[in-house]
Amino acid sequence: MEPIFLFGIVLTLLFLGVPVGLSLGLSSILFVTFFTTDSLSAVAISLFGTGQHYTLLAIPFFILASSFMSTGGVAKRLIRFAIATVGHFRGGLAMASVLACMMFAALSGSSPATVVAIGTIAIAGMRQVGYSKEFASGIIANAGTLGILIPPSIVMVVYAASVDVSVGRMFLAGVIPGIVAGLMLMATIYIVARVKNLPAEPWRGMSELFDSAKGAFWGLFLIVIIMGGIYGGVFTPTEAAAAAAVYSAFVALFVYRDMGPLKEEPWIRETDTKESRIGFKAWIYALSFLLVFLVLSFFVVGDDKTVPASMRYMWGFVLSACLMLSYLAWRGGGLSPGAIIRLAFGGVHILSRNLALMLRSIRGAVFGEETRHVILEATKTTIMLMFIIANALLFAHILTTERIPQMITEWMLGAGFNWFTFLIAVNILLLIGGQFMEPSGLLLIVAPVVFPIAMELGIDPIHLGIIMVVNMEIGMITPPIGLNLFVTSGITGMSLDRVVKAALPFVGVLFIFLIIVTYVPSMSTWLPYQIMGPEVVTQ
Amino acid sequence: MGYWPHLLLIGLVALLWLWDRRHPQTVNRLEENILIGLMVLITAVSFGQVIARYMFNTGWSAALEFTTSCFSWLILFGMSYGIKHGTHLGVDVFLNKLPLGVFRWVSMLGGLAGLLYGLLLLDATWLQVLGVETRSGAIDYWSKMYRVNVGSEELRWPTLIQEWFGVNDRVQRWIVLLMLPISLALISFRSLQAIIAIYRGQRRSVIASHEAEELVAENKGVLANIKD
Repeated sequence: MEPIFLFGIVLTLLFLGVPVGLSLGLSSILFVTFFTTDSLSAVAISLFGTGQHYTLLAIPFFILASSFMSTGGVAKRLIRFAIATVGHFRGGLAMASVLACMMFAALSGSSPATVVAIGTIAIAGMRQVGYSKEFASGIIANAGTLGILIPPSIVMVVYAASVDVSVGRMFLAGVIPGIVAGLMLMATIYIVARVKNLPAEPWRGMSELFDSAKGAFWGLFLIVIIMGGIYGGVFTPTEAAAAAAVYSAFVALFVYRDMGPLKEEPWIRETDTKESRIGFKAWIYALSFLLVFLVLSFFVVGDDKTVPASMRYMWGFVLSACLMLSYLAWRGGGLSPGAIIRLAFGGVHILSRNLALMLRSIRGAVFGEETRHVILEATKTTIMLMFIIANALLFAHILTTERIPQMITEWMLGAGFNWFTFLIAVNILLLIGGQFMEPSGLLLIVAPVVFPIAMELGIDPIHLGIIMVVNMEIGMITPPIGLNLFVTSGITGMSLDRVVKAALPFVGVLFIFLIIVTYVPSMSTWLPYQIMGPEVVTQ
Repeated sequence: MGYWPHLLLIGLVALLWLWDRRHPQTVNRLEENILIGLMVLITAVSFGQVIARYMFNTGWSAALEFTTSCFSWLILFGMSYGIKHGTHLGVDVFLNKLPLGVFRWVSMLGGLAGLLYGLLLLDATWLQVLGVETRSGAIDYWSKMYRVNVGSEELRWPTLIQEWFGVNDRVQRWIVLLMLPISLALISFRSLQAIIAIYRGQRRSVIASHEAEELVAENKGVLANIKD
């Protein structure tokens, strides 16, 4: 009776248009006052305690990183790189859009942001070369959902925090399924493109591939910082996220210069001579290499005291000096020391100008109105999400103290569920729930309920997490409440019905993908097992 | 225990109300700056700690307690901001099917829920009117902390403040917890305002129907002019 009251009041409040967080929180409070002898002080304290979850602290950082990465040119650079990579296949532009969405997903972790950033450019581009608007929008709406599956992903952080598994494992587990989902979408596009004879882009050669990779590099290096930091055993996920947030801000403000005081200020000016340009590029390659080398070697070496830092620095300097010299010799056309030194000094001029510019604009970069706006947007998203999470935690706490998960477990085991049928039940539950609830909130309510049963049936907690995430993905592209459908319809001006129909064929693909993920556990668990050993469940 | 914390909170809300009437922009900017400030502080301290720990093998022992407390403040203070600006997510599929007159009354429920939420968590003693045997809440807990005057685990005052004010070195727990009653009072206040605004027809509802509303609004129809 009491559990029915609890769920009943939540659903009633929810459908009456009470904010999700308030529905969960208020029903928990009412339950505590009317059905238990607990004091409300304890509830108030656990509300304050939400912020004390160290794992959840990663969420604002990932959101901040995502906001800075969404400020303009990153999406353009990723799309260019994607086109240079797969554009020359039949249906290439559509496949490149999927690839760009995958890469952007790895930077931002937010599905709607992915749809807007990639969609606004890619849909227009696809339309231009002759794809139908439906086809283009359908692809973007679907590929955009990869944001929560490809790590880093906020939904995974929330799952990890709620059932106490490692965030690092969850991130690793998402890698292969994320790539497989992307490949499945691309394969579908390829088949459709063959049948419908859709256009292919010309192959622009290795130099375009290399040039575009250079452009995308600073964005994509964020993935290395996050994943490398966590798996090198150097950072905790929260620390990696903090580093990612600061790195993204730096890249957006000073390297890409899509925002802030250096906006539209090119690294190389028209007036710079050809020689100084070569020298400058040599410097940039050498310094970038040095930075990458130091970061990577730090991740690999980690806390190992047998490799002194001085050795890493020495190797870094030697290797980047070699790189610089060979670049200068190659572009400068000769090994003559005089010419090489002249070029290198010419480059210093541009380099120092840029450094001076950066130093002078630090104040504007930190306190500027544009930076404030980006941080404010990230803050708003954080408080919106955390309000739901805080209250969902209150609600989940009541579920556990009332032993509701145990009751459901006993009932399900008594009804003869095995892991196969149980996972079907979980999928159906989440697909329905995903229609009405925000993913993190739904996850926090459902996870404590299904987790004990899953453990009882011998399902890997990481595998269960990935199944849940894929369900949330599908929830984003199915009506009535599909976040990505709203966003796609919003930017394309197509009606919601049209977007639903456009997305439908690819939703079918993701549905098949869900079945594969559900019944092939090794797809999710293989990589984390290889790298971090088997999971030890402490329940 | 007296009722002075209640009175202080009412005073605070009244002051905010007056100030908000005179200078709504200033108050808004202040609220945003507090939120941004907390966000930046968390990020800066966490990142600084990463640098200090891995590059210089040192660190601030209270960094974790400081960042998590700031994070709690951010979440709590953000609650009322979300109600004020209608950024909290909600389900409006069924709401939208209602006729306009009914819609307004049902929308007001959202504000009412916020009001109840805040007032119950602040101090549930008033429920005794309904014959429910209950008391305690955030104010009760906070006052207890204030009376006992325990310090927090790691957070220390800088020596300068210790000397000036003659306080103990540990930052008092009641200071860390200060945001709890304040934020609950604020969410009650903003919810009450929302109810009144909806009743007067100045506002549609307290919820946002999905998390990307602003993002979509910014990019509304950017691709609409492309031919089908």
